Amino acid sequence: MKNLFRRLRYLLHRRRFDRELADDMEFHREMAAREGKRNFGNTLRLREEARDEWGWVWIDSFLQDVRYAARMLQHSPGFTLTAVAMLALGIGINVAAFGFFNLMVLRPLPVRDPATLLFFEHQSPDNFGDNFPYPEVSFFAEHSKTLRAVMARGFGRLTVDREEEPIAASFLTANYFNELGAVPKLGRLLSPALDEAPGAPPVVVLGYDTWRTRFGADPSIVGKTIRLNKKPATIVGVLSNGFSGLGLNPPELSVPIVQKPYFEAGQDLTASSEKGINVQMWGRLRSGLTPRIAEQELTSLAAQLRAEHPKDMWEKETLSSRPGGFAMTVRAEMYPVLALASALGILILIAACVTLGGLLLARGAAREREFSIRSALGAGRGRLIRQLLTESLLLAFLGLMAALMAGYLGLRGSIVWADLPAWLNPIPDGRVILFAVGAGVAAVILFALTPAWHVARQRYRATTMRRILIGAQVATSCVLLIVSGLLIRALHQAISTSPGFEYERVIALDPGLGGASPKEARAYLDTLHARLGSVPGILSVSMASNPPLGNRWTVDKTRVDGRAVNIHFNNVDPGFFETMAIPVLRGRSLARGEKREIVVSESLAAAQWPGENPIGKRFSDAKDIVVGVVGNARLVSPEDSDAVEAYRLAQDDLLPAMVVLIRTAGPAESLVPIVASVSKSIVPRRFPEIHSLRSSFNRKVAQARYAALTVSLLGAVALLLACLGIVGLVTYAVSQRTKEIGIRMALGAQPSQVLSAVLRQFATPVAIGLLAGIGGAAALSQFLRQELYGLSNFDPAAYLGAVVAFAIAAGVAALLPARRALQVDPMLALRYE
Amino acid sequence: MPKSPNDKLQGTLTLLVLRTLDARGPLHGYGLCDHIRSVSDELLRMEEGSLYPALHRMEHDGWIAAKWEITDKGRKAKIYSITARGRKQLADEHEAWQRLTRGVARVLRYS
Repeated sequence: MKNLFRRLRYLLHRRRFDRELADDMEFHREMAAREGKRNFGNTLRLREEARDEWGWVWIDSFLQDVRYAARMLQHSPGFTLTAVAMLALGIGINVAAFGFFNLMVLRPLPVRDPATLLFFEHQSPDNFGDNFPYPEVSFFAEHSKTLRAVMARGFGRLTVDREEEPIAASFLTANYFNELGAVPKLGRLLSPALDEAPGAPPVVVLGYDTWRTRFGADPSIVGKTIRLNKKPATIVGVLSNGFSGLGLNPPELSVPIVQKPYFEAGQDLTASSEKGINVQMWGRLRSGLTPRIAEQELTSLAAQLRAEHPKDMWEKETLSSRPGGFAMTVRAEMYPVLALASALGILILIAACVTLGGLLLARGAAREREFSIRSALGAGRGRLIRQLLTESLLLAFLGLMAALMAGYLGLRGSIVWADLPAWLNPIPDGRVILFAVGAGVAAVILFALTPAWHVARQRYRATTMRRILIGAQVATSCVLLIVSGLLIRALHQAISTSPGFEYERVIALDPGLGGASPKEARAYLDTLHARLGSVPGILSVSMASNPPLGNRWTVDKTRVDGRAVNIHFNNVDPGFFETMAIPVLRGRSLARGEKREIVVSESLAAAQWPGENPIGKRFSDAKDIVVGVVGNARLVSPEDSDAVEAYRLAQDDLLPAMVVLIRTAGPAESLVPIVASVSKSIVPRRFPEIHSLRSSFNRKVAQARYAALTVSLLGAVALLLACLGIVGLVTYAVSQRTKEIGIRMALGAQPSQVLSAVLRQFATPVAIGLLAGIGGAAALSQFLRQELYGLSNFDPAAYLGAVVAFAIAAGVAALLPARRALQVDPMLALRYE
Repeated sequence: MPKSPNDKLQGTLTLLVLRTLDARGPLHGYGLCDHIRSVSDELLRMEEGSLYPALHRMEHDGWIAAKWEITDKGRKAKIYSITARGRKQLADEHEAWQRLTRGVARVLRYS
């Protein structure tokens, strides 16, 4: 400890100490000289030895190295810029990706005390889900001793004033905002005392975005009355910008949940399960308790409630929780996507580092003279390596700064572009910076160590090393190019081929019958069916539990021949195939009253019973019997070309969840208003959601394009990196053989002969790299295929396209510097050296 | 920290410097060298390269104190003098040295 202080004191005052030491020694020398003794020796060297005693020599030589390295980099701005740009790309892509992951999964939401928030789910032997009937939630809120507060949010849609199209609304427990520490921009937020009292006047709180876009940022809006679902409600406040709520999207139109029945007829606060209001539930854990205790308490409370209301509660219900203060939780099904993203990011980083390593090696060779002189002057190998590593460190530091900047800009750009909520803050936090530094350190180890070692050993012509570098570079770039090609092709295929059903002339109508009894739903749907059937221009009407191109699906995962296959189940009515123009290829369609009959898609039949007649086969543990085969129709995910479908007849209990599909003769959009008015004429207070399937399709396609664009960007980066690396290596190879090229040219060699002589050495490693890349891509795509869907096993076009693109780019990159060498005046080349 | 080649004699060096300063009073670096050389009949020759670092360390350990003074010849010089802690250190090292030499001498005599 004392030693440390001594050293620190020397460090802080080392100039003064140095001067004193110099003076002291100078005095000694003078005295010695006066008495005729001249053996004092080199004062400078002695001073350095004395300074060793202080223990800070390394800092001096480090600073020396840094200064020298900065000068070296300044002298070759082209190299420096290329290197920094490569690192910025290689690290920056990873920083941006990790930054996004950090925002979504690792960073707590910007709400008060996010660590104590729990999000609850419940399960029973027959059911699971995160939707709770409101009475259960209020029972928990009343009786729980482990939770300080229970919050709930229900989702719904409300029309605003005279607008036809309803917008998303949140039905909140009144403590929601206070518990999360939300601040009003104007007015007040919801309060349990004011808004949950019996007979409290109806109120609404606007989200910041809604206030700005829909109400023109009116500063005097508080106190005004608007009509929600035609019912007057007073605007009491506006949320401030940057409030996240508990999830990705902040509530934009918030109404106290106890007032829901006022706005939506037929809703019953006290009803449970089937008919009631379903909400998501969060709790705030009392300090010092574990989530486990709260889960146990709520489970026993649920059992207690079931004893009182056996019909409304699940049997043997248990509650489980997960941290509630995050935008997203990583679930097992997200692992493949995360693994893919990490693999691509690591590949890009490796590609950038390998390329840079090649450049550094080439540059080291160009500095051969410098290093010979330095080692002749007595620099040890360790000292040379240290100098080179310092240069690399400086480069890495610059690259890291650029990468953080690039990552930040990339993340900000994608947040704006993808229209993500404004509270997401792209500025890198400590975790992101730590990650970036880690990536930077990995990069330095990857790109700097071997070249430094080789240069310091003065083995500039370490051709094996160089060949390995070229091979590795070609291989990594190839893998990236091929995989991005495969992904793009798969997406393109999915988008451009017909999804197998009619979507241009179909209107989807979601009547929003949640809460209605099957009998009520049956009456409503039958009336709707009859009235729509008589509208001119409507060809047929049917329904399905999972609407085409919608956000609901029922998927069973199975494996066929080791490949993951998604079976999309849908519950439909007999007219469904006709309405959606899905051809019945074999057997027949479903008929009214059938329970165990099932219709499968051609692809499912081919996968399950290849070469056999599927009619009459048993399916799903022999519970179902196949009666028909229909054409493939990727109803839910057009981008998943591996998906297969199975259809059952919708039974009565599903009727409240059905979506009505209406096939039109002309353009679907023109009939949307008529369909809306027909549906309202049945029950005026219902507000069905109506849209054309074409608009849903366009939205899906836009998402797929976004994904394809991201992947092709990665591929382009890989190609660019490879080209930069090849330019560097060929430039170096040519500069090494300027003399030879000069002699050959002077002796009358053809340019093509000279070129092939120079470039031949690269042929083998490039070929090996290409093969390794193709193999790697095949392996990676095999893995991707197991986890992601729609990727073709062997897509010659993607492989060939990638290899050809790579060959052209590599050729151009190699020829450019080589051509310059050919233009060198032979005499000049010969006189060189 | 790299070890200086004189490391083995470092202990002796401290002992010599402390003993000289104790006996002769404050001295500057050259004076120290000169004194040790002449007293030891030129048998001990101090390396300047190890003397100054050693002086620095001892100054820091509080065994000696240093101040800049003007010599009688009008030249500024750094004068070192022994402190109370230095005297205690000197006694310890003296004792240790004598034990060492006694031990070595006995081994040389009897083995």
